[in-house]
Amino acid sequence: MNLERVVFGFVTILALTFTFAFVSGDIDNASHHNVWVLTIAILINLIATGLKLGDRSQVGALLLASSLVVNVMLISARIIWIIKESHTPTGPGAESLATIISLAGGALVASFVTVAILVGDTLISRR
Amino acid sequence: MATTSELDRVSMVVLRYMRGPVFVLIIVYAIGITGMALIPGQDADGNVEYMNLFHAFYFFTYTATTTGFGEIPFVFTDEQRLWAILCVYMGVVAWLYAIGSIFRLAQNPHFLLALNEHRFAKRVQRITHPFFIICGFGDTGSLLARGLNEHTLSAVILDTDLERIKALVLRDYRVSMPGLSADSSVPKHLIDAGVQMANCKGVVILTNNDEMNVRIAVMSRLLNSDIRIFCRSSSKRQIEHLRTLGNVIVINPFEIFSQLLGMAITAPRLHNLNSCLVGNRKAKLGRPLQVPTGDWIICGYGRMGQWLYKQFILHGIKPVIIDPKAGEIEGAARIINNHADGDTLDEAGLDHAAGVVAGTDNDHDNLSILMCVQSKKPDAFTIVRQNRHENQIAFDATNATLVLQSSLTTARRVLKHLISPQIQVFIDYLREQGEDICDQTVQRLRAAIGDNRPHLWHVKLCQDEAEAVVEHLRSGKPLSLSELSRDPHDLDASLACMPLVIERGQNRIMLPHHNESLVLGDDILFCGTEFGETLLSATMNNSYTLDYLISGDDKPRGYFFRWLAGQQLDDSAHSSST
Repeated sequence: MNLERVVFGFVTILALTFTFAFVSGDIDNASHHNVWVLTIAILINLIATGLKLGDRSQVGALLLASSLVVNVMLISARIIWIIKESHTPTGPGAESLATIISLAGGALVASFVTVAILVGDTLISRR
Repeated sequence: MATTSELDRVSMVVLRYMRGPVFVLIIVYAIGITGMALIPGQDADGNVEYMNLFHAFYFFTYTATTTGFGEIPFVFTDEQRLWAILCVYMGVVAWLYAIGSIFRLAQNPHFLLALNEHRFAKRVQRITHPFFIICGFGDTGSLLARGLNEHTLSAVILDTDLERIKALVLRDYRVSMPGLSADSSVPKHLIDAGVQMANCKGVVILTNNDEMNVRIAVMSRLLNSDIRIFCRSSSKRQIEHLRTLGNVIVINPFEIFSQLLGMAITAPRLHNLNSCLVGNRKAKLGRPLQVPTGDWIICGYGRMGQWLYKQFILHGIKPVIIDPKAGEIEGAARIINNHADGDTLDEAGLDHAAGVVAGTDNDHDNLSILMCVQSKKPDAFTIVRQNRHENQIAFDATNATLVLQSSLTTARRVLKHLISPQIQVFIDYLREQGEDICDQTVQRLRAAIGDNRPHLWHVKLCQDEAEAVVEHLRSGKPLSLSELSRDPHDLDASLACMPLVIERGQNRIMLPHHNESLVLGDDILFCGTEFGETLLSATMNNSYTLDYLISGDDKPRGYFFRWLAGQQLDDSAHSSST
């Protein structure tokens, strides 16, 4: 067992679960989605991206790429939330919320890819 | 880069052919457009209105091509209509002429030939990795191409027979194998096939005509003074001629087979190892053939019979020869000037013969001799000559102890040279070392690969082939063979591969010890399994795996964990000093 793998796996899978936690619920119902969960998901993802920097292997490059995709998607979702929230005190309306959730859903797919690569790589190396 | 004649020729032919139609089109367009622009028309109010040049061109475009599109700014006057009629007839005729010319050109067989050569030359020029040229795509050529394909080596194929080249397209090679049906002794075709390209590593000449083979060899040597040439030839005069060209390896299948037979008599273990290395599926590693040295009968005293006869005499065996045209032969126990059949075989002493060679140039005769021997003396050692590859299934069914198929012997020998010239050097080395060393090598090889088929490959420790190893060695750290060939899944085990030869500059290290340190630029010949090659190549190109194999633990990969590992080291250094 190696510390890097443990921390790495923990952060990557945590990022996936937080994204999932944010996405689950009705797509146009603001009470099903917590902006705090989204913010924490972004934070964990940024940490995961940071941990992936510096790996020169092919798998490392792929992990970094998918992690960057997650960041782009989640951060754009958060920005839309900020813009739409400033007009209404009760959070974004149904239409803009749908956009936010679809973006976060895209991030969820990329998170799945990251975890799949991580698990696959670990299984292949069989050490 | 070689300038090929075909590349320029095709575009020139098209341009020259299309010159007339294009001129006619331009003139017809010019007349039509100018006329339309000069003829006065009328607008809706009856004022005189001229079409501008653009509108005239627009009108002519849809008229001449008979598109039948009818959008015009104003209703035409009669003058304009008259001119429009002229335009339609002129334009349509001109276009028909142009299109007809294109079709005529496309159906011209000479043009098709040039186009084909052009495409072929283009495909060859796009090859960036090392490749070989194979002239002659008969039995031997196709066997060789299949062997090269298994080792992911490319070849360019030339053959005079169009049907064979057509068949080439249908084969599913993993690598690019462009083919052209052309006379290989014509320099233009050899240039198109890339004989002057830097990554062309050799010309293999395997046509059925010895005269032609020599011509191709001479032409290749003239076009490229350094290239390695492999040429099949069994005529003595031509072999002499070929040797004077320099850097030519002459492949005489009968001579090779007689040498292999000699090897089987004096060094059976080495013969066994060699058969396995060249991919003989019948040979099992560690189970050598025992060639008896009793009385031998040779049926057929042709090219093969003569070579085998020499080999037998060399080893003190005096064979009986059966051949209708044998004549006087010095040293033979007995000569029977007749066809080989049941009676003559009995006369030659089949009942006490140790072995029989069925070596005529007719497959049916050979098979019937073989059947006769197997029914009368089933325990005799049988050597049979197979002349045609298409009879493979029949020969497989005979259970002859050794089958000489000249095309297969040639293809295997050439392939051995093309994979790596070190293989033959290694076999020659083992021959000098004797049977004990050979036996030890076989034991080690069996320990490494088990019952799998041996697969040969070589790796040069350079940036392209072994990136991680080069990086490791450049940083000044040592690397031994055993560290390199460790199994990443189990550090105590080793990959299914065994280094046979290391070529280091001018030196060759035969059967290197597993503690041998590697040096940049080493060219290592490995024997193992194909899976072993894949894993070894992965190790050689991934610095993390290589580090893991050497140190036994995974190095931190990301910046953060490397920084963390550095901190821990500092801390422990600090605490131990206080």
